[in-house]
Amino acid sequence: MANARINMPATAKRGEIIEIKTLVQHTMETGFRRSYLGVPLARDIINRFVCTYNGVEICRVELHPSISANPYLAFSTVATESGTLVFNWSGDNGFTATESASISVV
Amino acid sequence: MIIDTPKISRRSFIIGSAAIGSGLALGMNIPFGPRVARAADGSPEVTAWVVIRPDDTVVIRIARSEMGQGTLTGLAQMCAEELECDWSKVTTEYPTPGQSVARKRAWGDFSTGGSRGIRESHEYVRKGGATARVMLVQAAADAWKVPAAECSVANSVITHGPSGRKTTFGAVAEAASRITPPKDVPLKDPKTWKLIGKPIKRLDTTDKLTGKQIYGADLTLPGMLNATIKECPVFGGKVKSFDAAKVAGMKGVKKVVQVGDTAVAVIADTWWQAKTALDALPIVWDEGENAKVSSASIADLLKAGLDADQAFVGNQNGDAKTAIAGAAKRVEAVYAYPYQNHAAMEPMNATARYTADKCEVWCGTQNGEAAFAATLTASGLPADKCEVYKLLLGGGFGRRGAFHDYVRQAVLVAKQMPGVPVKLLWTREEDMTQGRYHPVTQCKLVGGFDAGNNLTGLHMRISGQSILTAVRPEALKDGADPATFQGVVPSGEFEFGYSVPNLLIDHAMRNPHVPPGFWRGVNINQNAIYIECFMDELAQAAGQDALEFRRKLMAKHPKHLAVLNAVAERAGWGKPAPQGVFRGLAQMKAFNSYVAACAEISVSGDNKVKIQRIVCATDPGYAVNPAQIERQIAGSFVYGLSAVFDQECTVKNGRIEQTNFNTYNSMRIAQMPKVEAIVMPSGGFWGGVGEPTICVAAPAVLNAYFAATGKRIRSFPLKNHGIALV
Amino acid sequence: MKHGSRRQFLAASGGLAIGAVLPTRAAAQLARVPPNNMPDVIRKLVGPAPIKPGKVKIGLPPLVENGNLVPLSISVESPMTEADHVKAIHVFTEKNPLPETVSFYLGPRAGRADIATRIRLADTQTVVAIAQLSDGSFWSDSTHVIVTLAACLEEL
Repeated sequence: MANARINMPATAKRGEIIEIKTLVQHTMETGFRRSYLGVPLARDIINRFVCTYNGVEICRVELHPSISANPYLAFSTVATESGTLVFNWSGDNGFTATESASISVV
Repeated sequence: MIIDTPKISRRSFIIGSAAIGSGLALGMNIPFGPRVARAADGSPEVTAWVVIRPDDTVVIRIARSEMGQGTLTGLAQMCAEELECDWSKVTTEYPTPGQSVARKRAWGDFSTGGSRGIRESHEYVRKGGATARVMLVQAAADAWKVPAAECSVANSVITHGPSGRKTTFGAVAEAASRITPPKDVPLKDPKTWKLIGKPIKRLDTTDKLTGKQIYGADLTLPGMLNATIKECPVFGGKVKSFDAAKVAGMKGVKKVVQVGDTAVAVIADTWWQAKTALDALPIVWDEGENAKVSSASIADLLKAGLDADQAFVGNQNGDAKTAIAGAAKRVEAVYAYPYQNHAAMEPMNATARYTADKCEVWCGTQNGEAAFAATLTASGLPADKCEVYKLLLGGGFGRRGAFHDYVRQAVLVAKQMPGVPVKLLWTREEDMTQGRYHPVTQCKLVGGFDAGNNLTGLHMRISGQSILTAVRPEALKDGADPATFQGVVPSGEFEFGYSVPNLLIDHAMRNPHVPPGFWRGVNINQNAIYIECFMDELAQAAGQDALEFRRKLMAKHPKHLAVLNAVAERAGWGKPAPQGVFRGLAQMKAFNSYVAACAEISVSGDNKVKIQRIVCATDPGYAVNPAQIERQIAGSFVYGLSAVFDQECTVKNGRIEQTNFNTYNSMRIAQMPKVEAIVMPSGGFWGGVGEPTICVAAPAVLNAYFAATGKRIRSFPLKNHGIALV
Repeated sequence: MKHGSRRQFLAASGGLAIGAVLPTRAAAQLARVPPNNMPDVIRKLVGPAPIKPGKVKIGLPPLVENGNLVPLSISVESPMTEADHVKAIHVFTEKNPLPETVSFYLGPRAGRADIATRIRLADTQTVVAIAQLSDGSFWSDSTHVIVTLAACLEEL
């Protein structure tokens, strides 16, 4: 299971806009490189990220090879209610990673 | 619209110029011409390249870095040539990279490497001077209400022919700076050059001789602290732990800080206190896998590549393998070239001062913009809050161009002492063991002859490290590193000087963990040894004179041949040498210049080599300052010959063993041979000067050594064979 | 984007200073890596609608030492209400092997149209960000980044 990290506040006031920062471990092999023996290195990237907030999609990202290794994605959301945010990454070769974080909205 | 008079301060210089940049580009209609940009003392810029003071002093802006190679003077000469100013009143200044960013790179590229300083900026630097001249003349003509075409200019004096009226640059600079710069001012015909091509004295010598010149390591700022640093000696390893408490009480120690994942630094009042504490600091390293690597394991890795099936092709025509397989006579040799360090006289250093509002760095660098980029990244601040002030470098040689690890470290250290300038200066040991090394390679060369002793095939297989894979992987071409083939490619700046009917030059890439870098000359150093020594081996096998053998292969390479013939003739090749003196030749094209050398040496009974004289010829297309070129030739020989005689960096337990000059020696004045330089610019192209000649001294000496002793040396440095330079 | 229109791009974003007489050869070296088909890809995404400069602000350092890990932030002026919000932010590069870099799909729940990531830049080049708004309009910003390490290796 890949290493993923979420950075977001654990509590927020209702209606407050919070920043969410995510980081996931992945080499993001572009598919344009060749090894020192001239062998093409196959593309192997994360191409999709989805964040849901109590089941509702609040952010979706399409990633391409130009995203650096260990993709960092940051975005905002309105703290509407207490609950769970679920973060899901998927990509080539069946790669998936999931993280979740709770938020308490007062 | 009201035009403000810009305040005389550097801050407003930046603001004013940024406003001008955008004002002009947006086509804003500003009456009386554009706002005037000013230098810090209020003197007007006539163009971004030229500031003129009321006393007629001309300040020429130089973007590239002076590191002893004379580029500062050369660029100023070119600008001054077109400007038609009084050379005795010329001085120079470095715009900062922050100003460059703010003014959308008004001075072009700052990077100084690849022997490009003159040849890539000559056109726009000259244009900068020419444009300023036209504006100055126009200003005078406007004041006199005469046509500009009736005015002439020389030595900062503008004269109106018909009336005899005169004025000087200083008097009209203000008015000139308000004129919209004309586009496409024609440049002078090289035949009319008065300054370019003359052996003018350098602008930076006096301060260096009097000790007034400040280098990065000399810098002092009010309230400054000093620091030194240790990075994990095994490349790729990390800091596991360190015990700051053990040194915290030592005299002068202010802080012990970890820098990134891989290094620890001590900040103290004085540098000696910082170094003493760092030496005493217990540090536990997580050395990682690379701790197992040694020179022997690297050599094994490279050896396997000499016969590997797969290799990247750099030059090919015909079918070398078949030609060689069917040859009447076959000659084979294997050469090896070690890791080497830049070993600049001034160890890596940078001074940084960080606050949340501003990060400033003072350092010697070959590329002000790259130092600035490193500052931005390490500080986390935006460009308008950062600045880098370039100081002269005590040696660049490629260490301070592509790598700004010392800038990044200095900023990270300074961040731990906000508001306080901190000078981070490496120890010699750190400088020797945290280099960016000349890459390690081996080379197998095989030549085939027909029954008539004609060369029918040549295969040069290089096995070893790629610089670009580590430093700039985006520049690889389908995985291949084109830089590996410098000096032996089919065409261009590094064109191979021989026509061989069946040729294959290829590279089996093998990358050890030692970080590679661009060492003066880069890959021409070993490629010239490989090919020029092997050419001699082939000549010998064919029973032919080394010069004649080469000439037969160079009919299609007239400029390569011209420099080779020039050194041969000057050295008296073909005529008997004095008793006990033996000669050797070498030639190559590199960085777009054609270079050749003939060395004359004598060898005493116990293998002591005295280089009596080296004749060197270079054709760089144009010669801006011939005296400077001669000095660069001699200087490059000091570097290149020291390397081949005495310098290698060996690896044990994953780390570099040589920590100081006791095990990494350099040539002394008494050992320096007489160098006779033939500067023979043939015109029509611009070739480099800083690097090309470095590669021909060693093979010329090695070929002379064979002539003297009958022994071929194929691995280096020579000290490993008991051969010493005297 | 053709070489000529790149100059227009630069000029439009406040670009060429006095005395900057970069002759064709030097400019050609700065454009050493050939551009990709970014304009076609953008046009395909956007369709016939006009792309208006404005509302979008790209945050990128003006120069970087090497292009492997370049921090990128984008913010779009928008109330992010149900009626008026940013639906997507698309990023393109002029000279990477593929022009498409990343697309963020947002909505009124974002609160702010502010995103950040880290990108790879193969060479000195222009980066373009296009915001697609809920009313069907497209807005853009572009910025130029110098990759300083590229300069060391020009002739290879």
